[in-house]
Amino acid sequence: MMGNLLEHMGIDRDRIHFSWISSAEATKFVDVVREISEKVRALGPNKKFVKDYTK
Amino acid sequence: MVTFKLNGKQVQGEDGQYIIHVAEKYGVEIPTLCHHKALEPAGMCRICTVELFDGRRTKFVTACNYPIWEGMEVKTDTDAVHQGRKLIVEMLYARCPEVPLLQKLAKQYKIKAPRFKKEDDTCILCGLCVRMCEKMGNAAISFAGRGTEMRIDTPFGIQSDVCMACGACASVCPTGHITLAKIKEEFTKTHPSLIPSEYEMGLQGRKPVYVPYAQAVPNTPAIDRSVCMHFKTGGCKVCAEVCQMDAIDHMMKDEVVDIDAGAVVLSPGFEPFDPSKFDNYGYASHPNVMTAMEFERILSASGPTGGHLTRMSDHKEPKKVAWFQCVGSRDQNRCDNKYCSSVCCMYALKEAVIAKEHAGDDLECAIFYMDMRTHGKDFERYYNRAKDQGIRFERSRVHTVVPQDVTGDLKITYTNEAGKNINETFDMIVLSVGLEISPEIIDMAKKLGIELTDGNFAKTSSFAPVETNRKGVFVAGAFQGPKDIPQSVVDSSAAAGEAGAMLATVRNTLTRVPEEIPETNIVGERPRIGVFVCKCGTNIAGVVNVPEVRDYAADLPYVEYCSDNLYSCSQDTQETMTQIIKANKLNRIVVAACTPKTHEPLFQETLINAGLNKYLFEMTNIRNHASWVHKDAPELATQKAKDLVRMAVSKVALMEPLDEAELQVKPVAMVIGGGISGMVSAKNLAEQGYEVHLIEKDKVLGGQANNLYQTFQDENIAQKLGSLIKDVQENDRVNIHMETTLENVDGFVGNFTSELKKDESSTTLAHGVAVIATGAHGYTPDEYCYGKDDRVITSLDLDKKFMEKDTVLPSLQTAVFIQCVGSREPERPYCSRVCCTHSIDNALELKTLNPDMNVFILYRDIRTYGEREYKYQQAREAGVIFIRYSVDQKPMVEVSDTKLLITVTDHVLGVPVQIDADLLTLATAIVPNKDEKLANFFKVPLNEDGFFVERHAKLGPSEFATDGVFLCGLAHYPKPIDEAIAHGQAAASRAVTLLAKETVHTSGNVAKIDPMKCSACGVCVSICPYSAPAFETQGRFEGKAGINPVLCKGCGLCVASCRSGAIHLKGFDTNQILAQIFALNEEAV
Amino acid sequence: MTENNIKIVAFLCNWCSYGAADLAGVSRMQYPADVRAIRIPCTGRLSPKFILSALREGCDAVWVSG
Repeated sequence: MMGNLLEHMGIDRDRIHFSWISSAEATKFVDVVREISEKVRALGPNKKFVKDYTK
Repeated sequence: MVTFKLNGKQVQGEDGQYIIHVAEKYGVEIPTLCHHKALEPAGMCRICTVELFDGRRTKFVTACNYPIWEGMEVKTDTDAVHQGRKLIVEMLYARCPEVPLLQKLAKQYKIKAPRFKKEDDTCILCGLCVRMCEKMGNAAISFAGRGTEMRIDTPFGIQSDVCMACGACASVCPTGHITLAKIKEEFTKTHPSLIPSEYEMGLQGRKPVYVPYAQAVPNTPAIDRSVCMHFKTGGCKVCAEVCQMDAIDHMMKDEVVDIDAGAVVLSPGFEPFDPSKFDNYGYASHPNVMTAMEFERILSASGPTGGHLTRMSDHKEPKKVAWFQCVGSRDQNRCDNKYCSSVCCMYALKEAVIAKEHAGDDLECAIFYMDMRTHGKDFERYYNRAKDQGIRFERSRVHTVVPQDVTGDLKITYTNEAGKNINETFDMIVLSVGLEISPEIIDMAKKLGIELTDGNFAKTSSFAPVETNRKGVFVAGAFQGPKDIPQSVVDSSAAAGEAGAMLATVRNTLTRVPEEIPETNIVGERPRIGVFVCKCGTNIAGVVNVPEVRDYAADLPYVEYCSDNLYSCSQDTQETMTQIIKANKLNRIVVAACTPKTHEPLFQETLINAGLNKYLFEMTNIRNHASWVHKDAPELATQKAKDLVRMAVSKVALMEPLDEAELQVKPVAMVIGGGISGMVSAKNLAEQGYEVHLIEKDKVLGGQANNLYQTFQDENIAQKLGSLIKDVQENDRVNIHMETTLENVDGFVGNFTSELKKDESSTTLAHGVAVIATGAHGYTPDEYCYGKDDRVITSLDLDKKFMEKDTVLPSLQTAVFIQCVGSREPERPYCSRVCCTHSIDNALELKTLNPDMNVFILYRDIRTYGEREYKYQQAREAGVIFIRYSVDQKPMVEVSDTKLLITVTDHVLGVPVQIDADLLTLATAIVPNKDEKLANFFKVPLNEDGFFVERHAKLGPSEFATDGVFLCGLAHYPKPIDEAIAHGQAAASRAVTLLAKETVHTSGNVAKIDPMKCSACGVCVSICPYSAPAFETQGRFEGKAGINPVLCKGCGLCVASCRSGAIHLKGFDTNQILAQIFALNEEAV
Repeated sequence: MTENNIKIVAFLCNWCSYGAADLAGVSRMQYPADVRAIRIPCTGRLSPKFILSALREGCDAVWVSG
């Protein structure tokens, strides 16, 4: 639902990520960080919907 | 009181004071080179000259020795004064042009080059040394010669018998004219040396008045009478003069204090083995050969090199470091320590890994060892990781170290596994010294009548591992046997528990109530935030630029105070923080350090001590989440740390003081598992006066111990187990539930409700604490033809044969044991800890039954830690043959009608050896039950292998992070009977610390409903997994929802689901989280 | 914000992912420094408002982990 809302707002689905990691799964944690980081780097900075502080 | 004018201002001083004292009190700076507050002034350097107007005329006097009088007028800042001082500096500079202090002064007075003839002296004849020497009650040096010939010297300029080389003269010399080296060369016949700092392992000196180390408790200085000059000459007492609190009393005598005690716990610890007696390692003669304890100091951020890895001889960064294992352990030829010290393999691994972390990946680390003994929890994984990181392992005992004089490098000679002699050069050698009981402790044991083992450890039985032979005297830690931190912590809890059981009837008869610090009311105050940034030694400061983060935080809104600490969690820092909070009237605190999961309570305690509500606090994790994980990007890590601090600051500003509810603790314990550790735990809890329910799923008590024959100390297990079962069964306070399973658990610390199921019928049990002792089981192998032939059995099968007195056993001709079956394998990368000792024990038993039997043990590393090592020796002496195999060349087993054919490739010979055996025993792994259901009931974690994860690997081995739930026995990690018993006692002991409190406080982080906004829709009531919200049935807000703070876990589910926005989660409220989000963007603040 | 300097906000459950993040630190695993963690008691605490606010503050991505 959240995803749909964001898409509606023109925000890429890849900008929001849900995961479930138990406290013993440090490896998974790191893998997910890497994955998200890579995806988002590919997308580039978020320009939509951002409050503009220069105004 | 004398009143006079100083630079035009009215000032006051005491009668008899000199001008300089009063000036100092009023913050007026007067330079001086010859003044020392402990010494009588002499007016030697004259640089302190000031202008004095006595009512009629002006004159120049020296401030250090001119007594003040009523009505005088002093000026320290006139042109004339400055001109005078400049001239003095110029003359001194000409005399001593090379002295840094004078160069600095000359620069200050804008003197480029002195107009006088330059000399090459370094002494300014201030006389501080002479006066100090007199003060020391000694007078070994004095002024000698006249006029231009005047100098500081000993009588007749010859080396003095009188000088005791105390170094006081050097300590006050302002120019560096007198140094310790010079004292040695010119002044004294005594040999001067630094007083070695015990804490720094002698790598640094310390003073006669000293605090043993920064975190010492109590954190007060002590005087070392053996080196203090006062106790030698009767002079000095400088410390007493400067102490403003008058706290120093040199007349104090040692006192004998009598304490009435019902029980005694001996935990005197060990001493690291002193390797100076081994001349082949050159420890005594070469600074680059050091002990592991010294190396620890080199790696420590608070150590002599600040954590920078350098070697002692030339402060060069080493490129190649070697560790020698078993120095002073497993050695009866050169020292008497036959035992294995248990901890050295692991600490050497740790030091090598950390050394690489400090010095960079290109540091070459090599560990020379006999057997790698990583038998502790998660240790084998660490070993594997060390191998992956390129640490080299050489199975060899090095025989010679030859120092290379010019370079300071060390050439070693050793024989490698292939039998080849190899010469190799290292920059540094670390000796992994063993653990030893000191002669004083052995004396103490004799005085107390405590029986010792061959290794001088306190003798204990496997079934009472913390009891000495003397009733009421318990033992914990390395005095019981060489052991690491978690095992020592288990022991100490166990000893406390056993002593507690003995003294249960007199509990709380000698207690005192602590002083309660009243909470400051801060409601309505503007936030005054204090930010403490922790360096965590080099753990944080090594990557994150801590001063930068600190200065950044200082500029954030509402921040009133900011500082950094070396270790924020140390006792002394806690006290300083308390004072800072009070002095600066701070009302919100941020600590940027490690993880709140372990350290939040500690800092909250500090807040309470400072009179603040503990919820006015936010901790942010710049170690686990920044410095440790972004090692290669210090700038990004620093930026991240700043962001995290900014977010924390903006959240903490919105924090409010919260209340905690007080709850009664139900004085009943539930122990799950009727094995040996569970029973011991139940027994101890009952003896300490609590009702216990022992739950066992099987028909019999005793668990795995039922399958075991004898302990490594040759004690019959069945016998001892029988009496333990009897004790438990006969204890009125223990209720045993056989063939019972746990179906559900509700509630929380102090108030659990569990559903027990027996034969289809369910009962509920209310209890305050729970102990998980669910054990583990033996691995059923599918390798080595197990199951295909009756002659291939497991260790437990063999034990059974011993117990049944199997008549076949004495007639066997050849018996073989294979170690590490199912352990130390990719699917089970841990060591099962007990199997080496078990197989050796059984091998010896076979040899007893039939001394002519051929017994082989095929192993990877023999891990008979501690005094179990004696068994290994015995086995070799008895003719048991040990053949080492490598994991990639495992033994092969073939079954023939008459024999078992076992082929193993001997590592030393490199050729396959074939053994025709009658019996093959597989030393199988201990496999955890991986009880996810139970883990879920109590919300406790399991590790990757399926063992339960304790609160803290080192400091909390017998409890869980979940309050009120405790852990012991094999469910934690494989362990032999003595350790399982100590663990059971420890878990009980930890549980009693909670039960004895009688009440617990719930968290203040709970949800609260604003009834004015509540629309009574019921979503929160239906959604809450803990049934905390309910509709009010009476009062003004009847029909609206209300939350029971005791049941509320603070998860916030209701808060997010409330469509009216009526629910607030204290401590994680919407505005607080939004504040963090808004602070994400730096420009927004 | 530049290509090389992205910012991801992570809402981490105190009991699960926050623990995993701590453990990653203890194990000295290295990962990109883009993530800023906000510790929450449980992912159930999260409301869409937080995600939207984070994006509005210029975050390049939001990560919710239980």
